[in-house]
Amino acid sequence: MDQQLELLLEIQDLRMQRRELTDGSTDLEAEVFDVKIEDAIRSLDEKVEELAERLARGIRERYRRIADKAPRVVAPVINGICYGCFVAVSTARASEADRNLRVESCEYCGCFLYHVG
Amino acid sequence: MQLRELFVPSAINLDLAAETKDEALKELVSCLGLDGKSEGILYKMLKRRENLGSTGIGRGIAIPHCRSLVVTRLRVAFGRKLSGLDFKAIDEKPVRYVFLIVAPPLEVSNQYLPVLGKIAQFGKEADVPEALAELSSPEQFIELLEAKDL
Repeated sequence: MDQQLELLLEIQDLRMQRRELTDGSTDLEAEVFDVKIEDAIRSLDEKVEELAERLARGIRERYRRIADKAPRVVAPVINGICYGCFVAVSTARASEADRNLRVESCEYCGCFLYHVG
Repeated sequence: MQLRELFVPSAINLDLAAETKDEALKELVSCLGLDGKSEGILYKMLKRRENLGSTGIGRGIAIPHCRSLVVTRLRVAFGRKLSGLDFKAIDEKPVRYVFLIVAPPLEVSNQYLPVLGKIAQFGKEADVPEALAELSSPEQFIELLEAKDL
């Protein structure tokens, strides 16, 4: 897997974790797991920023443009469908040989693409 | 959907080889049948969640959990280590029973949080730690969930 894509995946998963803490599992995390929500959010924000700084300049700029507008910066591609916009990605992009070996974006929604499975 | 329908025998390990929390997380992730790269990413994300606060909820039970792009559907696993693992649990006691829950960012059925809540509730029942200690097969684990109507 492309190392930049791996960084993007990690960033996306952390952003999801942050979103869940503020909009979904807040009570569960605080009451069952004793998570200090504000501290956790601050920690996640710092980690996301640290990882974003490790992205190559061009990718980082694209990342920031997407991240400013949408909660999702990386969309999974499952069975040839981009789950950011539910449009089929081109066959060439979905080919087995070079899946996840380079950073690609969906031509429709702009999300970075990660082929799952 | 009932909790027992989510557990498959290959993801129920009643004798974890792990001696540490990190090893236990890796061992349980390996039960999910993902490729090596995905396992690494998932492990890293579970560790990041643990860094926000231990998922050891006390009474010997831990529920590591996260969402990640590397899975396409909700996945669960159960591991037991009767000699105990240092999980930095809330009650500071060793963890003997580990429930792993991972889910993709988007789920059509939106089961992740309800499943997390159900397992947390299950873990709080007074007789559960003892019942988990007595299990001798993955099938008995499923039967225990059935007996609890989960």
